[in-house]
Amino acid sequence: MGGLQETWAGRAGVSAPVRLPTWLLIAPTLVLLAVFFFVPYLNVLRMSFLVKPPVGPYLPEFTLTNYARALLDPFHWRVMYRTFWLAGLTTALTLVIAYPLAYHLSCAPPRRRRWLLMLLLSPLLVSVVVRGFAWMILLGRVGLVNLAVQRLAGHELVLIGTPTAIVIGLVHVYVPFMALAIAGALQNIHPDLVQAARSLGATPWVAFWRVVWPLSLPGVQAGTLLVFVLAVSSYVIPILLGASNVLVMPMLIVQTLLDAFNWPLGSALSMVFFGLTAAVIALYLRLLARAMRWTRA
Amino acid sequence: MSSITLRGLTKRFGSVAAVSSLDLEIREGELVTLLGPSGCGKTTTLRLIAGLELPDAGEVLFGDRPVTRLPPERRNVGIVFQSYALFPHMTVWQNVAFGLEMRRESPRVIRERVGAILERVQLRGLEQRYPHQLSGGQQQRVALARALVMNPAVLLLDEPLANLDAKLREDMRFYIRQLQRDVGITAVYVTHDQAEAMVLADRIALMRDGCLQQIGSPEEIYRQPRNVWVAEFIGLSNFIPGTVAGSRDGQLVVRTAAGTFTCTGRVEVGREVLICVRPEALHFGESHPNRLRGTVRERVFLGNLFDYRVEGPGGLHLRVQADPSQALPPGGNVTVSFDPSAAWAVDAGEV
Repeated sequence: MGGLQETWAGRAGVSAPVRLPTWLLIAPTLVLLAVFFFVPYLNVLRMSFLVKPPVGPYLPEFTLTNYARALLDPFHWRVMYRTFWLAGLTTALTLVIAYPLAYHLSCAPPRRRRWLLMLLLSPLLVSVVVRGFAWMILLGRVGLVNLAVQRLAGHELVLIGTPTAIVIGLVHVYVPFMALAIAGALQNIHPDLVQAARSLGATPWVAFWRVVWPLSLPGVQAGTLLVFVLAVSSYVIPILLGASNVLVMPMLIVQTLLDAFNWPLGSALSMVFFGLTAAVIALYLRLLARAMRWTRA
Repeated sequence: MSSITLRGLTKRFGSVAAVSSLDLEIREGELVTLLGPSGCGKTTTLRLIAGLELPDAGEVLFGDRPVTRLPPERRNVGIVFQSYALFPHMTVWQNVAFGLEMRRESPRVIRERVGAILERVQLRGLEQRYPHQLSGGQQQRVALARALVMNPAVLLLDEPLANLDAKLREDMRFYIRQLQRDVGITAVYVTHDQAEAMVLADRIALMRDGCLQQIGSPEEIYRQPRNVWVAEFIGLSNFIPGTVAGSRDGQLVVRTAAGTFTCTGRVEVGREVLICVRPEALHFGESHPNRLRGTVRERVFLGNLFDYRVEGPGGLHLRVQADPSQALPPGGNVTVSFDPSAAWAVDAGEV
C-alpha cells in the first residue's frame, strides 16, 4: 500500500512522506532477542543432547542420557516441586497484598496517586541484592523480627534458611509489579459501572465481586504471570534468604553448570524446567480464559 | 411507580453548594427534565434522588416513603447513565438479568421478564452479544431495558443521549418519550439540551447554581419566563428595557425609549422591566398594535427563515425572524410590530 502511494506521489511530482511498515518498530527488539536469546537458547538445546566427557565441556555426539538423568532422579523432581510451590505461593500472597493497594491507587485523586506511585516504586531504586541483605539482617537470629518474637513468645524463630524467608523476600520484591499491573486494569473500569450495579440491587461487596473483580482479571492475569515467571526463575533472593539450605531450580542449574561443570546435564535440566514452566503457565491461562471470554468476543 | 418529593435538598462539595435547598414535586407518571448549564447541580440532584450521593440537608421521598438515607440498592430506582454503564463482561441478556438476579427471582421469572423487555426495546436476537458488539443506539436500549426490567419506582436518566449522533438523538427522544408513556413510569431526565427538554418533558425544571429557577410546561417556560436568565437560557429573545406605567385590561403598559408598548406579565406598576419578545413574534409591517420604526442592518438566510438584525430607536437592537417570502434589503427603513400577547415583561431587578 505504502509502495503504491509512493509511486503515485512520484508520478504526480509531489513528494509524499515516506511511509515505513510498522513492523519495523519491533525490528530492533527482534534482532536483539534473536542474537542474545534465541541463538543461545538453541545452543543450550543442542548441548542438552550431547555427551559429557570426563574432561572438557561436551563431545559432539548425540545422546538422551542427560534427559534420562534429569527426569529420572527423584531429587530433581523434589527441587522442581519446591520451586513451583514457592513461586505459586509468592504469586498468591503478592496478589492478596497488591490488590487492595492497586484498588486504593486507582481510586486516589491524581495528585495523591502520583505520590503513592512514587512510594510504591521507590524500592526498585535499591538493588535486589541489597534488599536481600536487608532481609537477612531483619530476619536473622538477632534481627528485629526475632528480637520481637523472643520478647513476645520467649523462644527463637529460625527464619533464614527456610522457605518462609524466601517467600517473604520474594513477595516484598514483586508487590510493586503486581500492583502496577492491577491498578492499570482497575483504572479502566468506569465508576458508573459500580453505581449501575448498586442501583440494580447489588451491595458494595456484591458489586465488587460481580463487576470490578471480573473486569480487573486482565490486570490480575498480567500481574500473576509476571510475578510467577520472575519468582520461579529467581536466584538472588533464594540464595541469600535460603542460605543455600533451600534449593530451587535456578540454583540447581547453576550448580550443575558451574560447580559440577556438567553443561549437558545443566542444559537438559534447563530445558525440562522451561518446558514445565511453560506447561504450568499454559494451564493457568486456560483456566483464566474461561473467566475472560468477553475480552475476545 | 411513585411520585418524588424533594424538600430543602442541599448538597455541598467543599465550600461549593452544588444543590441548595431545592424543593421539587414530581407527580406520578410524569416526566420532568432537569435543565440547566453545566455545573448547575442538575446531575447532583439526580444522584441525590438515586442515592448515589447523600444530601447534607433535606429530604427525598418516593410517594410517602422517605428514602433520604437509603443506599441506592434499596431505593428501587432505575438509572440510565450517560456512559450507559453496561457491564462489558456480560452479554445483553446477562446485563438485563443482573438486577433480577440480585433480587433472587426464580430462573423462570427472569427468563420471562428479560425476554419481554428485550422484545419491547426491539433487541430480540441480540441477547448473546456483548455491549461492544452493539451500536450506540442499541447500547442505549439495553441500558433502558436493564433499568425498566426491575419495574423501578422511578426512572432516572442522566443525559442518556449525549453520546449519540445528531440524527439518532432526534429519533431516540421520541422513542424514550413513547416508552416512558407506555410504561407509565415517573421519570427524571437530566439534560443541558433545551430542544431535548422541550420534546421530552411534561414539565421542565430549570436550574442554575444549585437553585430552581422555574418549573413549568415547556410552553410556560418559553412564553412566561420568570426572569431574564430563564428568558435568555431558553431560546432566543429580544429585551426592550422600560418602566411599567400602568395596567389596563390585565395588560401592562410599559414606557420605553422606543415608545410605549402593551404587554403581559406579573409585575407591579412602577417597576423597571425588560419586555421579552421572541424573534419570531416580531413582524414587519403594521399588522400588530405595538409598533416601532427601525433600520435593517443585516440579513442572514437560514433556509426556513430570514434572520434580521434591526436597529430601532434609542440604540435598540432587535433580532427578527421572518418568512423568507418577503426579503427586505439591509439598509432599508422598516416598521416592526408585535402583539401584546407575545410580549412578556419580567422584572429587571430579578436576575
